[in-house]
Amino acid sequence: MTHQSHAYHMVKPSPWPLTGALSALLMTSGLAMWFHFHSTTLLMLGLLTNTLTMYQWWRDVTRESTYQGHHTPPVQKGLRYGMILFITSEVFFFAGFFWAFYHSSLAPTPQLGGHWPPTGITPLNPLEVPLLNTSVLLASGVSITWAHHSLMENNRNQMIQALLITILLGLYFTLLQASEYFESPFTISDGIYGSTFFVATGFHGLHVIIGSTFLTICFIRQLMFHFTSKHHFGFEAAAWYWHFVDVVWLFLYVSIYWWGS
Amino acid sequence: MLWNLLALRQIGQRTISTASRRHFKNKVPEKQKLFQEDDEIPLYLKGGVADALLYRATMILTVGGTAYAIYELAVASFPKKQE
Repeated sequence: MTHQSHAYHMVKPSPWPLTGALSALLMTSGLAMWFHFHSTTLLMLGLLTNTLTMYQWWRDVTRESTYQGHHTPPVQKGLRYGMILFITSEVFFFAGFFWAFYHSSLAPTPQLGGHWPPTGITPLNPLEVPLLNTSVLLASGVSITWAHHSLMENNRNQMIQALLITILLGLYFTLLQASEYFESPFTISDGIYGSTFFVATGFHGLHVIIGSTFLTICFIRQLMFHFTSKHHFGFEAAAWYWHFVDVVWLFLYVSIYWWGS
Repeated sequence: MLWNLLALRQIGQRTISTASRRHFKNKVPEKQKLFQEDDEIPLYLKGGVADALLYRATMILTVGGTAYAIYELAVASFPKKQE
């Protein structure tokens, strides 16, 4: 049996890139079928196969790292760069929506009444649920830092507690935001105000759900003894992502909820 | 052998299980043995029967779904003529 004489990870062939690509086809064509022909079959199939792909692909990454030891320090360095680059791309994604918001709100057109918020829009009070949401996410940033330090200090039970608190805070934010959406006096179709508000906060909410899912996976892995005090990059990546989600919210709160009211 | 040694080094650093009241036993060493077996089984199938079932289901759904998508595309491309 031959062995490598370098510290890098030459990944073995895998079917998941193919199934992932096909699931993307099913999701997009599924959207078209839903919009134009009122059929959700393809879309559901796409979402299911996408979930199956993600589950198996990331399960395999855990097998390669925790069980086979392929994540040597240089490999981990590459993963760190990768996660940082990914989060940077997400920053640019949100930058677009903030651009759209500022474009319309800094120079409100006569059609809107020449002011922002536009005529007919009653914005949400920034000092009510939105402020609570801000405190919830800030607190979750503290608890995740507590979890990280507990992990580095080999304090298993505290790490589990702190991570659980973080996840529960994330869930609380999601529920609060869902209730705000339900109760909101304006909708996505209420002109440019509605569009910028719901697209920006909507994508943010989706990222909170993604982040909460990532944290939950880390929680399960911690229960299963996957992380050591020195090697726990999966958790660090989740923590970075979570802080990013928090920072996006702070920008949303200050720009759209506060300044924009 | 490099990565084998590195995997073993991690076991030494892993938290010793003091899971007394809760039920979680540290099964990582068993998993490491299972997934490092020199049996040529690809990683995505190496976990056992459940792997194979999940793989097959995913393949059938994606490939089948793709065929269905192309079918729907064909149907949509030739709209029914109005009488």
